[in-house]
Amino acid sequence: MSEITDTLETTMENPVAGIDQSNGNFKYDMTYDFDAGTGLNERTVDYISSVKKEAQWIYDFRQSALKTFFAKPLPTHWASKDLENINFDKIRYYLSQGQKPKRTWDEVPDDIKRTFERLGIPEQERKFLAGVEAQFDSEAAYSNIKEAVSKQGVIFMNSTEGLREHPEIFRKFFGKVIPTGDNKFSALNSAVFSGGSFIYVPPGVKVSHPLQAYFRINAENFGQFERTLIICDEGSELTYMEGCTAPKFSTATLHSAVVELVALKGAKIQYITVQNWSSNVFNLVTKRGLAHEESEIKWIDCNIGSRLTMKYPGVVLKGRKARGEVISIALANDGQHQDTGAKMVHAADETTSTVVSKSISVGQGRATYRGVVHIPKNLKGCKNNTECDALLINSNSRTDTYPAITVRGDRHAVQHEASVSKVSAEQIFYMQQRGLTEGQAMSLSVNGFINDLARQFPMEYSVELKRLIDLEMEGSVG
Amino acid sequence: MSSLEIKNLHVSTGDKEIVKGVTLTINTGEIHAIMGPNGTGKSTMAKAIAGHPDYVITEGDVLIDGKSILEKESDERAREGIFLAFQYPSEIPGVSIANFLRAALQARMAEGEEIDASAYYKRLYQKMDLLKIDRKFTSRAVNEGFSGGEKKRSEILQMAMLEPKFALMDETDSGLDIDALRIVSDGVNSLRGPNLGILLITHYQRLLSYIVPDHVHVMIEGRIVKSGDKSLALELESRGYDWVKNELATA
Amino acid sequence: MAVVSNDTAVAVPQVGSFTSAAFEKHLSGAPSWWHARKRAAYERFAALPMPARTDESWRFSNISGFRLDGFVPDAPDLSGAKAAQVAFAIAAEPTLIFVNGRLAGRNPLSASLSSRGVVVSTLSEAARTNPELLKKHFMAQPQKLGSAKFAALHEAFIADGAFVHVPRGVEVTEPIVLIHSVSGMGTAVFPHTLVIAEDNSKVTVVDHFLSNDQFGQFACGANDLYAGHGAKITYTAAQCWSLESLSMQFNSTVVRRDARVQSLNLHLGAKQARHESLSQLQAPGGFSEMLALTVASGSREFDQRTLQIHQAPNTKSDLFYKNALLDKSRTIFSGLIIVDPDAQKTDAYQSNRNLMLSEDAESNSLPGLEIQANDVRCTHGATSAPIDADQAFYLKSRGIPEKAAHELLIFGFFEDVLSRLENEELHSAIRDLIRKRFAK
Repeated sequence: MSEITDTLETTMENPVAGIDQSNGNFKYDMTYDFDAGTGLNERTVDYISSVKKEAQWIYDFRQSALKTFFAKPLPTHWASKDLENINFDKIRYYLSQGQKPKRTWDEVPDDIKRTFERLGIPEQERKFLAGVEAQFDSEAAYSNIKEAVSKQGVIFMNSTEGLREHPEIFRKFFGKVIPTGDNKFSALNSAVFSGGSFIYVPPGVKVSHPLQAYFRINAENFGQFERTLIICDEGSELTYMEGCTAPKFSTATLHSAVVELVALKGAKIQYITVQNWSSNVFNLVTKRGLAHEESEIKWIDCNIGSRLTMKYPGVVLKGRKARGEVISIALANDGQHQDTGAKMVHAADETTSTVVSKSISVGQGRATYRGVVHIPKNLKGCKNNTECDALLINSNSRTDTYPAITVRGDRHAVQHEASVSKVSAEQIFYMQQRGLTEGQAMSLSVNGFINDLARQFPMEYSVELKRLIDLEMEGSVG
Repeated sequence: MSSLEIKNLHVSTGDKEIVKGVTLTINTGEIHAIMGPNGTGKSTMAKAIAGHPDYVITEGDVLIDGKSILEKESDERAREGIFLAFQYPSEIPGVSIANFLRAALQARMAEGEEIDASAYYKRLYQKMDLLKIDRKFTSRAVNEGFSGGEKKRSEILQMAMLEPKFALMDETDSGLDIDALRIVSDGVNSLRGPNLGILLITHYQRLLSYIVPDHVHVMIEGRIVKSGDKSLALELESRGYDWVKNELATA
Repeated sequence: MAVVSNDTAVAVPQVGSFTSAAFEKHLSGAPSWWHARKRAAYERFAALPMPARTDESWRFSNISGFRLDGFVPDAPDLSGAKAAQVAFAIAAEPTLIFVNGRLAGRNPLSASLSSRGVVVSTLSEAARTNPELLKKHFMAQPQKLGSAKFAALHEAFIADGAFVHVPRGVEVTEPIVLIHSVSGMGTAVFPHTLVIAEDNSKVTVVDHFLSNDQFGQFACGANDLYAGHGAKITYTAAQCWSLESLSMQFNSTVVRRDARVQSLNLHLGAKQARHESLSQLQAPGGFSEMLALTVASGSREFDQRTLQIHQAPNTKSDLFYKNALLDKSRTIFSGLIIVDPDAQKTDAYQSNRNLMLSEDAESNSLPGLEIQANDVRCTHGATSAPIDADQAFYLKSRGIPEKAAHELLIFGFFEDVLSRLENEELHSAIRDLIRKRFAK
């Protein structure tokens, strides 16, 4: 396997700043046009921190994280050996102004263009998604939402701004749900993070409209090392969505995001992700929520793109009667490996966790489920239910399941079930005999398989999701 | 009026020949019953006509209104008007009956045309009421968890909604008790008319008392060896298949 | 070969009491035909490192419990216990009795069986009478579950074992019972049972492992089952070592065309036990049923690792492992089902059920699947739960005291594994063994 490196053409076009300028107090220092270059060392971190004009504590945090990153080995004793193909020296960890990756519309592959067509993506969005334009002009839409929620006292901004404007809140929770040393990639993110959302919802506020990260992704690194921190204070509720079903082009091959959620007493957070990165991307994400007493954290995750995704959303059930849930749909097509799962750590009495994972392997795709359920001693009344089902479409596809369940004590009930099945030739023939083509029959079966889960996504997503899966399935037959 | 012509049909599965030269014409408006001992090729013939991937037509032809359908895929043949009522209908988890039938009907429409949802549901409920199928079944997954009788009724419902020209009914009576048999037969009889030709495959005469055929053919070891009218079925019932075999032997 | 990729653990291979001096002494007492193989095995053993924390195949295991010091290989039996105190109803006339690894007694097979060519002998005898068969099958299966070092130890230090050979078409209805007993402080034994059932034959074999005293001992045993075309093997292993012992057991099962193997492993003894079981479905129509029952009490640990590999189409495997956990005990179940790309129409099932009977008990389950063929039906499940409160109340409301009610429910828990046994006698004998174990 050849090394994967970033391809990039530097260009001086696109004068739009890499730092969000909507907050008028911050000014980008034009004297810094030093190129952070490829590869990662202390100077890269120096550069990032100074460009963002960060406080000392953040700078220290980053440098310390960098050391941890270098010290930790790749987790290849259990994870995919494909990780060894990441060449850390050839990656750009920060793109400053004027270094936007770009390609012309003609260079965009035909099948991507067709997908945009079939999914009905608006014209102006297509160029942004395809990497032809550096920034999607979403300012108008964004500022409306921002205004509406700020009336409720909600803070919704980019992580850089959050660090600057609300250090007291930020510092209280930042790096606490996912410590730097959690794994090699959370350490990497902690060193070079940029972009991502910072959201704080005050007590009792129920945010009526789902907040979307989609509008927040601008030119800054194309979301390469996003860091998101969401805090829902007591009794508040929030739904947050990121990603979209449309394929997203990225020249950056390594995406390593970190998402930390904190649900204080009685709060509810629902975090929805639809991932469809282009097929050159290593998507290694650490996501975890801390659920306090009687709160609820729900991860709804759909992974369709990327070359390798490693993502195990987790919930630490810290308070009594807290609830954690992971709903996951993964589609692995030729050349893809979706390595997903869930981590549920029970740390209080009467906590409940639920995991439902459905994966579809097509062609030579590989879907892997890895789960951890941990119920330590001295707790009582905890429950866990895990269901993971895999659907195999062609005889070359592959599916693996590796759960690890530890239960201590006689006051809990834990159940794990997994099954593997295929769309049978008899089923297909049955549907064809009713007049459906083979492709239509296949798509109906597959959509039937994920039906219950797809319904948990907001309406617009679930419709697009079904359409996208149909498209992915089309090539699989014949 | 349309016709389904089966000409000198030979069907094999693996390297075993099962149907050894069958010639038969079914016109819309007619009901033909095919009877015979088990393993004689009746189901095989029906599945081969529908285009089942496990069966190969090694010789002969099948034509609708003079045009051969052998080059067509199974779904194309379906859209041409062939309907196979399966002996063991498949379960399709996660796909509701309502959505399934809608997709099947949509597949028959021209590019760009959309099904009128309210008209569709009105028609669906009407047919369900006729077949005494609870309207709640629309949201259940196709055949999932259905009893034998419910599966067969579901097949008839599909037939009623898709309005084929030729229905090949494979051992529709198997697994049905007397009450279920009556309901299913009433359903089929309600669909009888000049625009529908039916090939009714059965081992037992019982079904034919409810769905009275115009013609009866006896199939033994892959061939049609005797044809007659509905009284032939009664004779078979009292004298058994051996009678036909002996008759052939001495002929 | 066990792959060890430890970044933090000490990678120094250890041999404990099984030094090369001990090995040479052992070799001097072993028949010469075995020398070359044993020497190669010892070299492997000495070179391989001990399990490390980062080894996936030892995840959750209390590795420090697998120490190799303080043991005495080839210890003579000083207790004079020729016919061991067997509290196992079905073992009235065991065919072979091993004490401290060497044959100490036997009851001949019936005339009808021996005249039809059935052989139940020791490995040493088999080396003279069936050398080719022995060479082909002895320790011939791969070690895929993490204990290559200990399997090599077994081969290096094994004194003797049982050899069961059933010729084509012969059906043996009476169970063949083999006793392996151990006595003396720190005695190390390496029990071995090799069962070869030729085409269309049928045999039931029972291995009973027990200690004659309460001392801590080390048992590192292996049993290999080979079922030919259409053959049927029913195998039961009842592990009743003393409660201070360290036990390791490796089982492999090869299932050929249309063959059926059922193996039931009962774990009642030992302070720390590791059991590895490999089933290979090599030809179409094969069926392997893997059953286990464990009673874990005190602060004991039971570690069970299994692998069901489907290498041919139309094969079936069904694993059903139940653990009852009391006091401060721990169990680990790691089961992997692998379906090769060509193994279409595989039916593979795996179920691990843990009955949690105390607040300090801990169960760990790692049920796994690696599926590469798409036309398959595979399910696996793991549950950990206490006694059903409603059921317990129902029994009590009928006047049954709590302790008796629990016992009834625990036996009920085990019953659906035991009911898979066709032989009624065996079924009751095992139920008895479990009951006695609970009475302690």
